[in-house]
Formats: sequence, C-alpha cells, structure tokens
Amino acid sequence: MAATSGFKKVFELYVSKIPWTLANKEMREYFGQFGVVKRCLLPTDKETGFHKGFCWITYSAEESLSNALHTDPHVLEGAKLQVQRNRRHQFIPESTQKNKDSDEAL
Amino acid sequence: MAALLRSARLLRFSPSGSLQIVGTKRNGPPLSRLYGGAVGGRTTGPCTRQVACGVGTAPRHVWPSASSSSGTMRCYAVSTEQREAESSLGVRSKQAQQFDWALHKLDTSVKKTGRITRTQLLRIFHDICRTGYPSGNQALLLLRSCGSLMPEMAYAERTELAHRIWDKLQELGALYDSSHYNALLKVYLQNEFKFSPTTFLAKMEAANVAPNRVTYQRLIASYCQNGDIEGASTILGFMKSKDLPITEAVFNSLLTGHAKAGDMESAVNILPVMRGAGIEPGPDTYVALLTAYADKGDMENIKKTMETVEAADSSLMDRDLMQVIFSLAMAGHHQHIPELVECMRQERGFVPDAMNMCLSLITQGQDDTAFTILKTFPTLQADDVNSDSPNVGNFFLRHLVNMEKPVEKILDYCKDLQDANLHSSPLLFTLLCALEDKKTGFSYELMKAVKEQGLPLRPHFFWPLLVQPVKDRNPAGVLEVVKSMQEFGVAADLETVSRHILPAFPNMEAARQALEEVGCSLESESFVSAEIRLLATSDLAALYTTLSDPSFPPFDFRGSLKGSLVAGFKKSDNLEDMVKITEFLYNDPRFCRENSTPAEAVSFFLYNLINSMGEQDLRAQEEKLRKYFHKLKSQNIVISFNIYRGIRNILASFNVKSLIKDVLLLVDPSDTAALSLPRGVESKLLNLEKDLFQLKEEGKPGGAVFKQLLMLLCSEDQLERAMELKQEYEDQLDAGAYATLINTYCRHDNVEEAINLKTEMSRKDSSVVLDASKYLALVKILAKHGRMDEAVDMLKEMKENKVMLKEQNINTLFHVFNTLGAKGDIEGIRRLQDTVFTLGLTKPTSNLCSPLVTAYLENNDTPGALEAAMDCQKRFKQMPRIHDIVVALVEKGDTDLLQKAMDFVTQERGEMTMLYDLFFAFMHTARYREARKIIETPGLRARAGRLQWYAEKCIVNLQMEPLENMVELTAKLFECDRDEMYSYILRLCKETNNFQKAEATWTKMQEENVIPRERTLLLLADILKSNGQEVPFEVPEGIEPRGASDVLRRPSASSMIRGETWYADVSTKEEVQVLTEAPSSRMAVADPAPADPTRDRAGTNHTTRMLTLCKKKKAKEAYGLLKDADQKGVAVNAAAYDILIRSLMAAGSLEEAMQVKDMAVSRVSGFQLNDNANNLLILTHCKKGQTKEGMATLKSMLQADQVPSKLAIARLVQTLAQGPEADAAAIQEVASLTKALGSTLTVSSMLFPNNTALAHIRRGDVDSAVEVLEAVYTAPESLFPSMSYVFRKVLEENHDQALDKLSAMAERLANHFACYRPNTDLFLELFEMDKIEDAKFLLARCNAVAEQKSWMLSYVTKLSKKPGQVDKVKSLFSLFPDCTEKDSQNTYMMKCYDLDNDLASAKALHEQILKEGADLDELSLKRLAGLYRRAGVAIPYTEPPESFKFYAEKLKEKAETSRE
Repeated sequence: MAATSGFKKVFELYVSKIPWTLANKEMREYFGQFGVVKRCLLPTDKETGFHKGFCWITYSAEESLSNALHTDPHVLEGAKLQVQRNRRHQFIPESTQKNKDSDEAL
Repeated sequence: MAALLRSARLLRFSPSGSLQIVGTKRNGPPLSRLYGGAVGGRTTGPCTRQVACGVGTAPRHVWPSASSSSGTMRCYAVSTEQREAESSLGVRSKQAQQFDWALHKLDTSVKKTGRITRTQLLRIFHDICRTGYPSGNQALLLLRSCGSLMPEMAYAERTELAHRIWDKLQELGALYDSSHYNALLKVYLQNEFKFSPTTFLAKMEAANVAPNRVTYQRLIASYCQNGDIEGASTILGFMKSKDLPITEAVFNSLLTGHAKAGDMESAVNILPVMRGAGIEPGPDTYVALLTAYADKGDMENIKKTMETVEAADSSLMDRDLMQVIFSLAMAGHHQHIPELVECMRQERGFVPDAMNMCLSLITQGQDDTAFTILKTFPTLQADDVNSDSPNVGNFFLRHLVNMEKPVEKILDYCKDLQDANLHSSPLLFTLLCALEDKKTGFSYELMKAVKEQGLPLRPHFFWPLLVQPVKDRNPAGVLEVVKSMQEFGVAADLETVSRHILPAFPNMEAARQALEEVGCSLESESFVSAEIRLLATSDLAALYTTLSDPSFPPFDFRGSLKGSLVAGFKKSDNLEDMVKITEFLYNDPRFCRENSTPAEAVSFFLYNLINSMGEQDLRAQEEKLRKYFHKLKSQNIVISFNIYRGIRNILASFNVKSLIKDVLLLVDPSDTAALSLPRGVESKLLNLEKDLFQLKEEGKPGGAVFKQLLMLLCSEDQLERAMELKQEYEDQLDAGAYATLINTYCRHDNVEEAINLKTEMSRKDSSVVLDASKYLALVKILAKHGRMDEAVDMLKEMKENKVMLKEQNINTLFHVFNTLGAKGDIEGIRRLQDTVFTLGLTKPTSNLCSPLVTAYLENNDTPGALEAAMDCQKRFKQMPRIHDIVVALVEKGDTDLLQKAMDFVTQERGEMTMLYDLFFAFMHTARYREARKIIETPGLRARAGRLQWYAEKCIVNLQMEPLENMVELTAKLFECDRDEMYSYILRLCKETNNFQKAEATWTKMQEENVIPRERTLLLLADILKSNGQEVPFEVPEGIEPRGASDVLRRPSASSMIRGETWYADVSTKEEVQVLTEAPSSRMAVADPAPADPTRDRAGTNHTTRMLTLCKKKKAKEAYGLLKDADQKGVAVNAAAYDILIRSLMAAGSLEEAMQVKDMAVSRVSGFQLNDNANNLLILTHCKKGQTKEGMATLKSMLQADQVPSKLAIARLVQTLAQGPEADAAAIQEVASLTKALGSTLTVSSMLFPNNTALAHIRRGDVDSAVEVLEAVYTAPESLFPSMSYVFRKVLEENHDQALDKLSAMAERLANHFACYRPNTDLFLELFEMDKIEDAKFLLARCNAVAEQKSWMLSYVTKLSKKPGQVDKVKSLFSLFPDCTEKDSQNTYMMKCYDLDNDLASAKALHEQILKEGADLDELSLKRLAGLYRRAGVAIPYTEPPESFKFYAEKLKEKAETSRE
C-alpha cells in the first residue's frame, strides 16, 4: 500500500532506445556485467508482438547500479542505449494537477 | 498545422540579395499586378506541377487552436459527469472539435513524414462517418488529402478513395459547395484522372453550385493535361465571356497542353504571348516548359531553358527540378537523370521533398531512379561521434516492403546502402518492416538472408508472426510458425512458449501433444510455471516442496501465483502447508516484485485472500482462518496497519467481526501508534483593537495583534491612527511594521516621511532588510522626485543586502524607467539602468532596456535611439524597440543608417530576424514592393508570432490595405498557416462589415487550396448573413454565431444529393463496382448494394427531404415523410434511416425511433444501429430510467465491436446509481465490460467508484460506500482522484448519516494516510454550496486542507470561467490568502471582472494594486484594456502591445519556472 512501500531503496535502471532485435535475454546479459541483475522487465506490445523499446533493470546492490551508471556510452550490437537511473514513481499530486490548472487559469 | 492549411506551395527564390533592395535596385513586378484587378494574377494554380511532389513540408511546430480545442475537450469531459444529456447538441458541438482533431492528426503526420498514409486517412474518414453529420470542412480536409499528399498510393487508388469519400459524406448529409468541387478537381489533376470536364460542369450546375474562376482554371488544366487544346479553348471562352481574368496559371496550362498535343512550337510560343498580355513568365511557366522537354527527353533544350531562367534573374528550386526528374523517369529517359540530380542544391526542405518523390517513383515502379535520388541524400552528420548510427533510407526500404517488391532486389539495395555506409543495418530494418506488416513469407525470406549474413536470429523475431494466430486461438497457425522456427534452428524460449505459443491451445495437454508432434523440444521452464499454478490449487504440500527447492527460478509471486494460491488456500484444509508456504514466501525475496518486500507481498496476499471470500466462505472458514492467523503470528509474520484496516473493513462489512481481533494480532504494535490523531487549531483573533486593548490592560506586549492591526490600518489608509499606534508601541516595531508603513507612505507619494521611516528603521537595527517591493517603492518615489543619488544609493543597499528581485518587482522597475522615459530624461534612465545592471540586481531584459530608446524617440533623435539600442545589444544582448527605430529610419529615408541597423541586427540576431524587421518596417510605411522582395528571400520561413503581431495591429487600426498585402505577400512563405492569414482578413472584414471583400477572400482561399477551419467559415458566414447575403456553403453547426437562428441555405441545396455517382458517367463499369463497395468493414451502417433498386430518383428525393428536415431538427416531420414513403413502397437507404433514428432520439422520441429501426431492419438487410445511434439510445433509456434496456444496448454494442461514448457510459452508471434499485453490482458489471475497451475509452477513473458508493448509500449501506472509496485512496498507485461528486450528491440530498460517515472517512484518510483529497473535496463542495460555516469548521479540524493549493487553484480556475463568481473567488482567497501569490490572485480577480464585464470593480482593483505599489501582469492589463474599450472609455495606460496568447504563455512560463 502506498503508505508503506515507497520508502525502500531500489536500485533500478531505466533503459530506453532498445533496438527491436534485442530481447530480455540480451539485456540481462549485457547489464549483468555490472552486477547481479535481480529483475529485467522489458514490456511487449500485445498487439504487435514487438517490445516497446524500453526496459527496467533492477540490481540487488547499489554498487552494480552505479557501475552501470558510470559507464557511457552503452553500446549493444551497434545501438546506443539510453540508460538512466529509474526515478521512483513518487506521487506528488501537485505536479500533475498544477500544470493543467494553471494553464486553465490563464 | 500549416502543412495542411496552406496549399502545397513553393518557397520561392528571388535572385537578388535582400540587403541591396534597401537601395534602388528594385526589379520586382509592378504593384498593379500584385494587387490590381486581376485577383490572384500572380498566384499561380500550380496544378500542373504538383503531380509528383506538391507537398507542403515541415510546418511550424505550433498547433494554433490547440488551447481552444483542449478547452472544449475538457468541457466535454465535465459534461459526462454533470450535464443533462443534450445529446444532439453534443454530437454537433463535437464537430468543430473533431475537425481540429482530424486536422491535427493529419498535420502531425505531414510534419513527421511529409505525407499522409492511407490507414491514417481511412481512420479519420471512419471516425467522421461515425459521428454523423460530416461538416463541410471535414469533407474538404478528407478530399484534399487524396492527391499528392499520399505518394505511397497509386493514382487510381487515390482517386477511388476520393470518390468513396465524396459519396459517403454526401450520403451522410454533407453539403458540397464550390470549394469541394474545386478540391475534387485538384485531386483529379494530381492523380491524372481522366474525366469529362463538361459533365463535371453539368453536374455542378445540376447541384446548383456555381463554378468560379478557380473551377475554370482547373478544368483548363485538366484538358491540357490530356493535350486537348480545343477543350481548353472552350473553357477559356467561358472565362472570357464571364469577364474573368486570365492568369499565369492558365497560360502555364496551355503551354503544357500544346506540348502534350505534340506541338512544341506553340508551347514555346506561349511565353511571348504571355508577355504580350502583360504577364511575365514565372518559375511555374518554366517548370511547365522543362517538363514538356523532359517528356521528350530533350536534354539540350532543358539545359538551354535552365540557362534562360538563370539569365532572367530567376531561379528554380530543387522541387522544380524534381518535377523535371520525375517526368524524365516516367518517360523512360533515365540516362539524363544524373545530370539533373547534380543541379539540385539540396536547399532547406530538400529531404522531405526528395523522400516524397522517391516514394512516388517507387509507387510508379521507378525503383532504380528512386534509389539514385536516395543516394544523393545528405548524410546527417548529427551532433557528434556519440550520435546514433546512420540510417538513411528507412522510408525507402519500408515502401519497398509495402509494395512487396522482389526480395532479391531489396537485398541488393540493402547491400548497396550498407556498402555506401548510409545505413548500419538495412537488412534488419527491412525485416522489421516485414514483421510489422505481418508479411510471413516475406519475413522468412529476409530471415534467411539475415542468417546467411551471420546475424543472430532470435526467438522474439517470431513473436509478431505469432500474435494473430494466438489471438484467433489457431493452434495450426501457431504450429506453422513453430515449425519455421525449428527450420531456422531457433529454439523457443520460456517467454515465447508461455506467452506466444501456449495461449493458442485449449489446454496444456493439447499443447504438449501438438508441440511434441512437430518435434518441438519442450523447454521445461515454461511448463514449470504452469505446473506450480496447478499445484497451488491441487496439492499445497507438493507446491511447498517445489518452491522451496533453492534451484527453483525466481518469479513474480503476485503476478504468477497469487491468484491460484488464493484459490488453493480457500479450498484447502491443509493448514500446516498453508502456513509453511506463507512463511516461505514471507522470507524469500526471490518471489516478490521489485520495489516491494516479500513481507508486503504476503500481507497483500492475505488481504486478497480475505477479499476473495464472500460472507458465506468467511463464516464457514472462520475457524480455519483464526488458526491460520494464530500460526502466522507464532511464525512472527507481521502485517502493516493499512492491510489490517483493509481486512478489518472486509470482515466488518460481512459482519464477521469476531475475526478482526485475530488479524490485529499480526499488526506490528509500533504501527498502532499511528492511531492517535494530531489536533491543533489556533483560534483566530477577530477584534484586533479589542484584543490589543485587553493585552495592554493585562500589561502584556501587543505582539502579533499589534502588527495585524497596524497592517490593517495601513491597507485602509488610516495613516493617522497607524502613526499613533506606532508611537505607542515604538518598542515593538519590527522590520515588518516599518515596511508596511514605508510602503504606505510611498503610495501616498510622501517621500520625506517614507525616507524618515527608513532611516529610523536602519538606525534601530542596521541588520534589518526590507523586501524588494518596498525598496523599489522607495526607488520609484525617489526617482520621481528627481532624487537620483538617493535612488542609486537605495539600489546599492539592495545589492548589499542581497535582496532578490521577483518578476513583479522587475515590472515596477520598468515603470520607474518608463516614467522617466516618457519625460525624455535620458540621463536619469541611463544612471538607474546602469546601476541596476552593473550591480546585477536583475538581468537586462528588452522591456527594461526599452525606456531609454523611448526617451530618444520622444526627443525625435533616431540616430540616438539606434545608438542606444545597439549599445543595449552589445552590453546586455537586448535590442529594444527595434521596429520603431527601423520604421523611423525608413520614413526618413536614411539608407546609410538603415544599412547600419540591418547589418547590426543580422550580425546579432541573424538574417531572419533582420528580414522580418525590415519587412514590417516596409509594410508599416506602405512600401510593398520592397516588402515583397524581402519576404521572398530564399530560405525565409513563417514566424507565426511575428505575422500575428502585425495582423493584429492592422485589425485594431482597421487597416485593410497593409493586411491584405501581407496575406498576399506571404502566399509562398514557407510554413505559413494560410487559414490563419485569411482569417485575419475576415476579422477585419467583420469589423468593417465588408462582405464583398469577405466573399472574394473565400475564392482566393479556394484558389490557394486552403482548407478553412470552422471558425473561419463561421466568421465568413456571419459577415455574409449580417449583410443579407446568401451563404454559398454549409455553415458549421453547433457553434452558430449569435443571432443566426435561421440558417440560410441555398434554395436547392438538396438537389445536390441526387442519384448515382455522376462521375461514373465517364468511368468504366468496373470502377462503378469498386466505388459502391462498402467503404470499410467496420462501418456499421450497411451500404446499399450497387444494384439496389432503392436508389431510384423517388427514393433519393425522399431521402434528401428527410435529411433536410432532420438537420432542421424536425425529426417528427421527417418521420412522417418516411412513413409516407414506406407506404408508397419507396425505400430509402440505410444511412438515411440511421440519421432519422438519431434525430428522433435526440428529440426524445424513443418509440418512434424504435419503429424506424424496426422498419430499417425489415427493409435493409443487415441493418444495425451505428455507434452514435446506440450511444443516443443508451442516453435516451437513461433519461427514462430504463437501466435494463440501457445495459442491454451497451452489451449489444460491445458485442458488435462498437465503442460506447464516455457520455453514454457515465450517464448509464449514474442512472444505475440513482435508480430505485441503486444497483452497485450492475455498475461493477459496466466497469468490467468497459474495461476491455481500455485506452479507446477513458472515462474518469472515479466514475465507477463514486457511483458504486452512491448506489450503496442509496440502499442505506453507507459502510460499503465507505469501503469502496477508501479502497480507492489507499490503493498503492492511487492518484487521489476526486470524490466531489459523491459529496455533492449526499449534500444535495441532505443525507446526514452518509455525510457523517463519509466525513469520518475523509478525516481518517487525512490523519492516517496524509491523503487530503476527500477532505478537500468536501470542503470545496461545502464552500460551493455556501455552507461556509461547515466549511470553516472542516478547515479547523483539518488544517492540511489549506495546503492543497493545486486543488484549490483548480477550483478557482473553474469558478473564474463562469460569470458572476467573483464573490466566491474573493471569499475563497480570503479564507486562503496563501493559496497562491497575491499577484496571481489579482489575475484571477481580473479574469472574473472581465467575464462579468464589471469595469468599475476592475478599475478599483487596478487602482488598489497600484496603491500597494505592486504591479498587474500584462495579461490582466490586457483584460482591463478590453473592459475599457468595451465601455467606450479611453484606456488610461499603455495597453501591452502583444497578443493575449503571448502574455498568457508568458504567465504560464513564469508559473512553471517559479514551480521549479
């Protein structure tokens, strides 16, 4: 539940610009060089059968995460992946709301 | 937007450099031709030249009506919850919105790709059909797109599509006018469609649409395209007899015509004839000539002509050359192509144009020529080494795949591309295209090549091919792919098996068997996961053994197993293993989702377990569960308080409360502490004086009370009493008190006293610092009184004290400077400006720099002004008032200084800015020839903001001439939004009531092939109507201008909807067959079969009359007509039935509507109500409280794969909640039914919970309501949506019990979860209903509500959109002074006054703001100015010069930055 789950530390990368030729396995292998990958989530579009071009890599240790983040560029099979730390989905009601509302105000 | 609204135009190059123009070298065409009697004399009808590549590309990145359309959209969303079902109005008002949407869609496509695809167009076509009532400009938009905007489609297909659209829309009641016929002609020309011009004219006549100049021009072009000079001459005769001007376009067509007829001599001879007629051959003429030579492969003459063009001080653009290349390719003269390709300069816009030409060439089977062009593309040397690898030619490869060209050939191209280092992985990209198109065989051939090249083939490459068979539950199809995988030696991995293979099979066994049969090695993993699910529901002991095996792979327990486990636990009595498994999952992190702990996952599992059990289950298993909980406790399993609450609520609602204490055992004792509720409300002091007196009596210091009182006195201007108080409490005066007093004296222009106070304050404590606005108030008053030294000192002191300047302070600063500027006090300004900027108090802005220039201009010292502006630029990178300076220089004819100014602007701001400055200066001084030269400078693109600025200026000053000239001059300007430009003219026509000009403007728009937006058409119609003129087109409905109750129509508009497809006369029979096919299988309305006898004259006459009646909202009369027709045995078509049904329903005549439906079903086979009709039906049922029928309709819609509207769903759910049954279960059903629609339907996330809760309440079950809502807010991913609707209903019904429990819930949520949304909602609802006391009480209990600024603001925003809300807004601000910045509050107030047209209050507000030494933002100043203007009162200040939009953007930006 919202109140309890937000506080834990998660070592997670958000990787985008993944070429269609790569799949979960390749991502795990590549990011495995920086540390143990706990989880790799590469969502697939059910309608097309292609993945969506981005994935989340979860490490179990902070060190792995910073290893990965300190490497640049990440090139895999000729494609440059965009890698960034995954920003936790922190919920701030203002941020989404406010934008819209102040637009309307004018 | 510009891409579609502007016609396909060319960026014209004028040969001479722009700067020299300033002098004397002016060789432009005579002004009379620009602007004389021959309307559009120079505006060429580029029909002949746009066959291949006439696409306006890369438009500007602004979607002009985005704000307004999103505005209406939002309104619409609100209406789903609140408004009455004004369904027919809803449908119509949607139209404008839809046009914008469709236009935006297509425009985005043109922006991205330079073209429109067939799928995109069809989708929009379908959507427009579904809404019914297609409007005139929607039709125009669709028709317009069927030509060269679709280079990927063959000509015949495009024409066929245009015809299909023409027919279908006509059937749906679209009324066509000359603009539509002209657009169709254009499409014919672009698609080289052969038709009979005379028949075309006859048909127009029959439809009572008068052909205009544009029509004739295009008909001539059409004759000429086929080399029929005689035919062209006939039309030419027409034109002459009607005294229509013969334009350059006509000559160009004739040139082409002669050439096509094989008479090159006459073709060449056109040029001298033109000159004889006073028209100089333009680039279009030369392109026509070059194309003629290209058809013959006459390279020599091509070269000669090109030299002539060069010599004539004119030049051809890449696009023109592409046209010639295209003709060479089509005529088979490939050998000459490279030479011409060499001549292209690859100017701006080359790539998209060239792409479209390549696509056209491929479509026409000229692949090799396309490839030749492709190889000349400039390789994008993007940023640096880091950039992605090159991929030139993606579009090329994709189109080859689309056209299913031979694989060997594609492979050759791939190799070439890779060898030339143009593309890093062409083969894989081609495979991607093939897979995207699900071209199975094609994909396999490519995969073979991939494999041969040693590139890896991966299992997921096959997924796209598996999607369809899996969806169809087609095991055979899946097995085919599996076999191919094996042939390629690719083993299916876990994901492939479990997600893309297994789901196609009815069960595991079948899958296992089938896969084994084809020899597929079963990869164990995928089956393991299925296995554990099976075990969970059958054998918990075995499950435990399997899971606890350390080698068991990790998986997401919540996703993969939870459901099965819940089911298993419910069934099982095996407590021991249940506990073992729970404990195991609780401790092993392998099985939980990232970002949660196993403990959380398990607690949540417990919640799910209880939640899945009904009352009966719970009662039956109470003992088992109790033991289970106790055992968990003994295993030290802990759950959070939240989870406990969730479980408790469930148990309580089923009245199994005896279990609650057992669950509580599991809660961490430290967590329970959260129960205590923080309170802390300070009572507010009201009578300050009294309180202060009392304090004094008691011998206590005045403190806060004193300060509040002082401030109040100051703001009320009771200075005397304030000073008394000051004396009395001298010792308690702090910086704040001083600041207030100083500010008040400044406001009263009492410089002495203000300075005294300031000195006194500093003496007392030199460390205290005033805030920026007080300092500036002092600076202002000092400057005003000429005490510059002190003013400078004050600024220095600010710097020393590190006072930060905010936006509004900077405005004050500007006013300080500007006051001096108006007085011409150059020295004073310079001194203050320099001080401010050198101290770095604020960044120099254009605004802040401008007063200095103003001062020079006031003194009529232009060179000084220029010097000052240049100096500003050098020092501060600002160039204030450059337009005024340039205008002054042009007026004085000071070429040297002008040259200097322009050189300077170019150097500092770039050539583009300089050119616009110069352009507007020439426009301003009516030097149009010079202006024209400027705007035709090569590479210049439209800057919408600057053009708008000038147009608004013209409109305000009622200057038609410069405005018209600007519109004319920008016709070929790259990316210029033509509709926007013409709408400026119309706005001015409206101001001056000039309907002749307005009508001429419409013809010009047609000639330019511009699609007017609805608002443009409305404006035009409005002007015509108010002058008693006929409106020659259909006025967009739903948003008719005020006072237009009777829509004027052409007397015989109905005659247009007549009979069969008229162009079929000249088409072959085969085409007729194609044309009358149902346009799309998704269309619910059955189309009449080609041989349908119902389409006889009588039928269509009836149909026409019926449709007209429907449109006039006389549905019942139309119904009478139908019955009449039916009795006579005259049948009408399906679409007519459909429209009538909808009209009847819109009129609330449900029974009649159903009768018509029955009629339709019996007359037209396969008749079915379409989406819209069904939506209306749901609404009508709801109105009558027939929820069952509503549900049934919804279900049948979903079955027929139709999409219910948001409104229909919302209304149905609301009716379910309000009806006598108050059917919560039915609401849930709707929720789950519509869930499948997913993203196509985005109803408010709270629609279901809110109404479910209301249904519970209505049945007296408030607890369930609370539970439903609480679940929403405690959900982990909750976005805290609004439950205002529930509060409103409960308050409206005075349901006290419900209100009590709901507010208790709100308070709980606030206190335990820091979730303030419900409380805020309640507060605002109370406030809205004027229950101010209750609202205040709530606020007292929950202070945090006051901090929910965004929600408050959003409420204020909503309020300030309606007139008459100013008191509410004021009162809210008084409750929450901190809800937003003071100046932003003023903005809202001003908006309210503006809306209420309350000049007096607005004026008072402005005065008060000025008195406080603050400033009003420019947007509000603009609003205020509008109020003054409407009241006919002179505006006592300088109105901010830019547009509303500009300042709104500015404010928005400011708000955004301050948020960051």
